[in-house]
Amino acid sequence: MTEFPTRPVAQLVGSNGPIHALTYSSTPSTYILTGSSDRSIRLYNPSSTTQSPTGPPTGRLIQTYTGAHSYEVLSLSVSSQNDRFASSGGDRTVFLWDVSTATTLRRFGSHSTAHSHTGGRVNAVLFSGHDDSLLLSGGHDTTVRIWDTKSSSAKPVQVLSDAKDAITCLATPQNGEPEIISGSVDGKVRSYDVRMGRCVTDVLGAPVTSLSLSKDGKTLLVGGLDNKIRLFDRRNGTSLKTYEHPGWRNTELRVQSCLGAKERYVVAGDELTTSEVGIGNNQEEGKIWAWDLLTGKLVATVPVPWGGDANNKKVTIGRDGKEKARKNVVSCIAWKEGGFGNQFCVGGTSGVVNVYGEL
Amino acid sequence: MSYKRSRAAYEADVTSQQSPYVFFGTPLPPLDPDVRDDGSYVPIWKQEVRDERGRKRLHGAFTGGFSAGYFNTVGSKEGWTPSTFVSSRTNRRKNDVKPAQQRPEDFMDEEDLADAEEDRRIQTKAAFAGLGSTENDASRATGLMGLFRATGETMGEKLLKKMGWKEGQGIGPKVRRKARLELRSDANGPGETYLFAPENVPMITFVRKTDHKGLGYGGQARLAPIGSSTKNNGAGHSDDEDAENMGDFGKPRFTLPTDRKKKKDNKPRGGIGIGVLNDTGSDDEDPYEIGPKISYNRVIGGDKKKKTTTTINPAVKAKPTFMPSKKSSLGKIALGVRKCHDGRLPLDGFVFGKEPDALTSAINSEGKYPPPQVPPGWVSSKKSKSPTGGSSGFVSTADLAKGSMLDPKSRAAILGEKQLPGKSVFDFLSAAARERLVAATGRADLPQAKGEVPAEYALSEEERMNELLSRVPKLDKETAVAAISRGVSTGAPYADDEKKRSRYIAFLEYQAGFKPTPGPQPSKMNSEDWLRELTEFYNCARIFKPMTGFMASRFTTSSTTKPGSGAEAGQKDVLSKPPLKPQDPAEEAAKLGMFGPMTRSVTDFYPTRLLCKRFNVRPPEHVQPDEDHPTKPAHGSSSRFDVYPDQPAFRPEILTMSGGTGDARETSSGEGSGKSTPAPVMVIDPNRNEALEGKRAGEDVFKAIFGDSDEDDD
Repeated sequence: MTEFPTRPVAQLVGSNGPIHALTYSSTPSTYILTGSSDRSIRLYNPSSTTQSPTGPPTGRLIQTYTGAHSYEVLSLSVSSQNDRFASSGGDRTVFLWDVSTATTLRRFGSHSTAHSHTGGRVNAVLFSGHDDSLLLSGGHDTTVRIWDTKSSSAKPVQVLSDAKDAITCLATPQNGEPEIISGSVDGKVRSYDVRMGRCVTDVLGAPVTSLSLSKDGKTLLVGGLDNKIRLFDRRNGTSLKTYEHPGWRNTELRVQSCLGAKERYVVAGDELTTSEVGIGNNQEEGKIWAWDLLTGKLVATVPVPWGGDANNKKVTIGRDGKEKARKNVVSCIAWKEGGFGNQFCVGGTSGVVNVYGEL
Repeated sequence: MSYKRSRAAYEADVTSQQSPYVFFGTPLPPLDPDVRDDGSYVPIWKQEVRDERGRKRLHGAFTGGFSAGYFNTVGSKEGWTPSTFVSSRTNRRKNDVKPAQQRPEDFMDEEDLADAEEDRRIQTKAAFAGLGSTENDASRATGLMGLFRATGETMGEKLLKKMGWKEGQGIGPKVRRKARLELRSDANGPGETYLFAPENVPMITFVRKTDHKGLGYGGQARLAPIGSSTKNNGAGHSDDEDAENMGDFGKPRFTLPTDRKKKKDNKPRGGIGIGVLNDTGSDDEDPYEIGPKISYNRVIGGDKKKKTTTTINPAVKAKPTFMPSKKSSLGKIALGVRKCHDGRLPLDGFVFGKEPDALTSAINSEGKYPPPQVPPGWVSSKKSKSPTGGSSGFVSTADLAKGSMLDPKSRAAILGEKQLPGKSVFDFLSAAARERLVAATGRADLPQAKGEVPAEYALSEEERMNELLSRVPKLDKETAVAAISRGVSTGAPYADDEKKRSRYIAFLEYQAGFKPTPGPQPSKMNSEDWLRELTEFYNCARIFKPMTGFMASRFTTSSTTKPGSGAEAGQKDVLSKPPLKPQDPAEEAAKLGMFGPMTRSVTDFYPTRLLCKRFNVRPPEHVQPDEDHPTKPAHGSSSRFDVYPDQPAFRPEILTMSGGTGDARETSSGEGSGKSTPAPVMVIDPNRNEALEGKRAGEDVFKAIFGDSDEDDD
């Protein structure tokens, strides 16, 4: 991938509401899982496409996982063996799914509310531990709960309740280091080193909405609600680079950012709250912003079409009861093979996932 | 065959027939089928007393018995519990709706109510009671004319009251005078003067002369009852009797002191048999009032106690009393000079106009004797001195200014002022000031602000720089030096922005005194931004200094004021601001973008064993092993009395934990940790328990325990 791709090569349709979670399957990252606000999880193969008369070809919908979540699906995580995946949602539950049979294997925190997430949504879920034996989940109740996928105990292995506000994102190194990184609305990134028994707290100031670890686990990309994405040196907590642009604003919504193209770029969605003229005020069209990792310069802004067919409504009922045009907020982003593949996909309020790069 | 019926048979017959004594018509049905009402005798013990509702109760005291409460008790059906009592201990005056208004009826029983009902009589209301009576004739006499008079407050009165007028007061500006107290002695003293409302002015009334008597002659009073003499008098009305005068609507009334005199005469005189000196008891009355109006001095040595004529309340009409002024008023009175209607004498040199005589005015009004006509072509011989001023009259400056055709520019030209360059105010306004104007006026179409500075006020570049730098907070030299050294050694702030970092270093060097200026102003920034950045640097340097300095900053010295700017400092002290809430230094540092050691904090984290196991790592050192310690020896027959081989490692902790007592502390502190390391390592054979499998005790021990007791028993 020499040039940053500017046109979607495929679209994944079928969701009946905004997409909240996107993830590629584990290596070789053939499939894409989407978590939607219509309470279902969909498994797509972006490579086998059928031509669409209007837009880019649509990827094949393989499976729809429904019936478990009673609220929107907010986060997804696929195990390294690609046999199971975990999902969390607005109904304070975490489900462990079997990919092939489309059934839930476990429901964490269901047996006793004393052990489940007490308040509201579970924002993030993540496999961790040796052999994916642990499942981390963090949510509005300010705790990170660590569940054991191997035993059938209803109790979490441990509850990390240091955060003073909701947990928004979780990360764990891909190289198997025993670490748990959590980002919270209280503006702090906490790294729990299990081996050393240390918790390193880095203050960002603004609420943390996105965490992305580099492959070597030495740098961490942190997105916060202060219009800036920062690359942190995990060793001493210094900010190596700050990625920002006057046209890119992020103060209200969770907009994910990630490292991409073999960690050449920092890619993020757009919450479209800017009213700047000239940058593009087309609310139907979301944008992807890409910065160069090393120089911190803006490399590209890629338009994201609304997508879908005519049934995909572009209007919503506002608080005043009138219909208004929906913004295409690009809230979630995933890069193939943890940032090292040749493809990435974005999703947002349009409910259509746009796949960029090579098929 | 007749036989005498038995009594019982007769009574049965009677009851069946209802009433045996009815011979004509239909008998009324009995009141109560069980009780015979034939008037036959019922013995007392058989009589039952029932109240009007048929209840078997004793009746009231006045009707032959008494009845009280619940079956002649003070209780109720539930016992003696006042049903209305609600404890207010918890809800004091909270939700009491309104204490129920208690009426006398609430305390009355049926009997009392019945009595009260009986006492009520139907009466006609007073308003209707007098229909046909002559009681209110006097008030009704006004009749039709009453319709045309406004009753109650007139609109004028309302307006006056709104303006602060009170009834009885006069109208006009307040008068400064002494307070007229009742005691005359006060008036003589060096009294202070107060502002009083002016005195009320009696209404001028004119009397239309309708009789043929001589002018000023009132005529003889008619014989009339004393009470009504004033009514018939016609001229003797005072304002108090307005109500009675309502009838003579439009009739001119004329009040003069001479007339008022008559009122005095209306005092009831003593009747027959009442002597002159028959005192009624009141001191006010002068028994010698009758007779010639000579005031006798009946008190030797001292002023005669005058009748109180002045009242504090001016609403009460002051009686017309003659208060002779020392000088000339006597003469004036002699000349027939009256007072003006406001009670003052006319100005010197003025005389009162004659009262327009009713007759002459009537004649004049008819035009019988017109005034002489001015001959045509007559011109006054007098001429005003100023020919123009007389005609145009007085013109105010504002009117003159209005008439002027000059505008500011032409005026400036006349005055010889130099013309300003053709610029508007907006050329000199800053953009921020224009924004404020736009916000205040709500008009966005104001001209662009250019922020120019007139040439004579323009600062040189150097001055501007100095002015700017004076607004930058001053950093201590040592702090600046410390911040530089710190910035060099470890991760400096603004590591991600090379230019900013160099500016920061330059700023520090300037503050430390190494350089005269903190470098040139960056071309991209305007001075406001640059100032902001310098302030940020200042904050940054204060945080980003060695730990000792940082700790020192936790303690603030008492504020010192510069001796030179004492007034200014005082000004600032008055506007004392509340101390800012101490912020987390990490948050502050994060806000300044100084990520690194400042924003990082490390705490201990205690992963559970299972977590460590799932991560496939050993638990950290500080994680306390719990009961099932992994290094526990795995021998099967471990008993409770086993001593763990790793127990010596815990010894120091046990010692410090039991440090509450004095000697224990001594052992731990005195011998120190050096003692604990060479603690005797017990080598334990796990297969052998010393305590259990020790040497068998001596024979005498057993003997002492078991043997002796037997002997004692013997």
